[in-house]
Formats: sequence, structure tokens, C-alpha cells
Amino acid sequence: MIFLFQLVVVLVAISIVIVTLGSRSTHSGRAWKKIALVLLAVGMVAGVLFPELTNTFAKIFGVGRGADLLLYATSIAFIGYVLNGYLRQQDQRDTLFRLARKIAILEANDRYNVKK
Amino acid sequence: MTKSVNDEVAIIIPVYNEASVIRHVLENVQKRFKYIICIDDGSRDDSVGEIIKTKAMLVQHPINMGQGAALQTGIEFARQLPVKFFVTFDADGQHRLEDAMAMLTELKTDKFDIILGSRFLGSSIGMKKNKERILKLAIGFSNLTSGVKLTDTHNGLRAFNRNVAETMQITMPDMAHASEILEIIASQKYRYKEIPVTIEYTDYSKAKGQSLINAVNIGFDMLLRKVSK
Repeated sequence: MIFLFQLVVVLVAISIVIVTLGSRSTHSGRAWKKIALVLLAVGMVAGVLFPELTNTFAKIFGVGRGADLLLYATSIAFIGYVLNGYLRQQDQRDTLFRLARKIAILEANDRYNVKK
Repeated sequence: MTKSVNDEVAIIIPVYNEASVIRHVLENVQKRFKYIICIDDGSRDDSVGEIIKTKAMLVQHPINMGQGAALQTGIEFARQLPVKFFVTFDADGQHRLEDAMAMLTELKTDKFDIILGSRFLGSSIGMKKNKERILKLAIGFSNLTSGVKLTDTHNGLRAFNRNVAETMQITMPDMAHASEILEIIASQKYRYKEIPVTIEYTDYSKAKGQSLINAVNIGFDMLLRKVSK
């Protein structure tokens, strides 16, 4: 039974990452990210105020202590954050490159009198 | 094939720090082809000075963007020229003009949209064993993921028609563009063919070759692109 829960947690974690990556440009994708962030913050506060509450949740998911559960949640959030940042940086790079390409072509058109 | 200068083909050559060899390569190419487009990718040496001494047209990136980005720039510039066919060619002199000519002959039959060079169907002069092993690995990976089955997936010598040039949109700026082009071939359903080509690995081209660890970057970027949009 515990094993089944662990399996579910792992699958959920993987799908969170994939869904985050797949929907980063949609409104709902961005909204879910905010919801997840708020939930993480709420979990953190709850963990501080009611330590035994996180323990109870951890038992349900089969991951030992509540602190561990928070650690896993934080890890997933961190991985999502890193991948998101990487992809966003690539998007910005693409925009910059398209601009630079336009400049290069316009300049060359001018030099060689190319008419489109 | 006549020896006259061919004016229905654009030769696209990305250039990055190739000052010592580029002029020699271009002088050879311009004997056969009228339209040669050199994309200087922000070279820090005198590549630009060497290019303007030849008949090649120069398109200059204001910043260094990578070989894939340079190819895309070259294709977009060449689209505006009155040419029917397009050839991508390496600046370091490792490709042979005869192979490019053979590719164009295949293209002119109108049975294919894009012709790719394969050094494993042909021959490689002076390739290191280690490089061959890594390339074989990359080919296996690419055949699994791109949907196009080839014997050589990272060959810079390609020839294609206007339809391909008008629709090709390379977004991977670095070496990953080679895999991306294959994905584009699969998704656009271009009719493709591989023909044997000879690559001459000189000490110069070996020194400029890819570091093997870079394969990790390429694999990671390609996989990440598949799951994200």
C-alpha cells in the first residue's frame, strides 16, 4: 500500500514537471504555477505552526517524516524553476537572434542592392 | 556537367574564425558558382577581410550566434536571390565541390527535395577512431528521435530546392541544428536522399572539431524541446 502511494507521488512529480514545461506559455499554465507556489508557501507555514500535521500527510504518502515531504515538494519546485528559467532564457535568446539576423540581412541587402 | 559558372545555385557558407583558410575555399567555389553567401558569425579574426577580397557576398552577424543561426541567416538571405537550388557548405575546406555537384544533379531530377551528404556511405580521410565512435552514437540517437533514418546525421554538406529553403526554420543556434534539420525533414515530409561524400579531415579541421562532451548539451536541448512548447 505504502509502495503504491510512493509510486503515485513519483508519477505526480514527473507529470508536474512535464505539464509545467508543456504549458509555460498559456494563461492556465502560468496560473497553475502561481497556485502551486502559494500551496508550497501555505505548506511551509503549516509545517512551522503544526509540525505534526505535515507528519500526518507524510504518513499518508508513505514518505516518513513531514520534513521529508516538504523537502520533496521543494525539490520539485526547484527543478521546475530551473527548467523554466532555462527555457525562458532560450526564448529571449531566440528573440535577440532574430533581431540580429534581421539587421545582418538588411545591411547585406543594402550592400548588394538586393530587392525583395 | 559544364565547367561554366552556375548561376541557379546559392552556396551558403557559415564562417567563424576561418581567416587562414576561407579565401582559398572561396576562390575554389567561385570558379563554379556565381552566388556564394558567407555568413560571418562574429569572427574575432580577419575572416571578414578575407571574404571581401573574394566574389562572395558577405552577411555579417553583429554578435556570435552559432552555426545553426548562421545557416538560417544564409538561407533567409539566399531566398531573395534568383536561384533555384541551395547548398550548405563548410568553411574549413573539408567538403569537396564534386560532391556538391553530384548532389545538384540528383536535385535536378526533381525526385527529391533535399540531398544529404554521408561520409559513412563515402569515405573520410583521416577521421579519428574516437570521433567515429561518438558520431555513430549520435547517429543512433538521431535515428531514434528524429523520424528520419540516415547513415550520417551530422554532415554539413546539404543541397535543397526552393520549397525547402522557403519553409526551413532552424531555431537551434548551435550544433543541435543538425538534429533539428532532420526533425524538420520528417515533419515537413521532404523527399530526401543520402549520397556518399568524401570529407577530408585536415589538421586544421580536426583542431576546430566539436568537443565530445558537447553531445550532452545537444541531447539535453533536443529532449527538453520535445516536452516544452
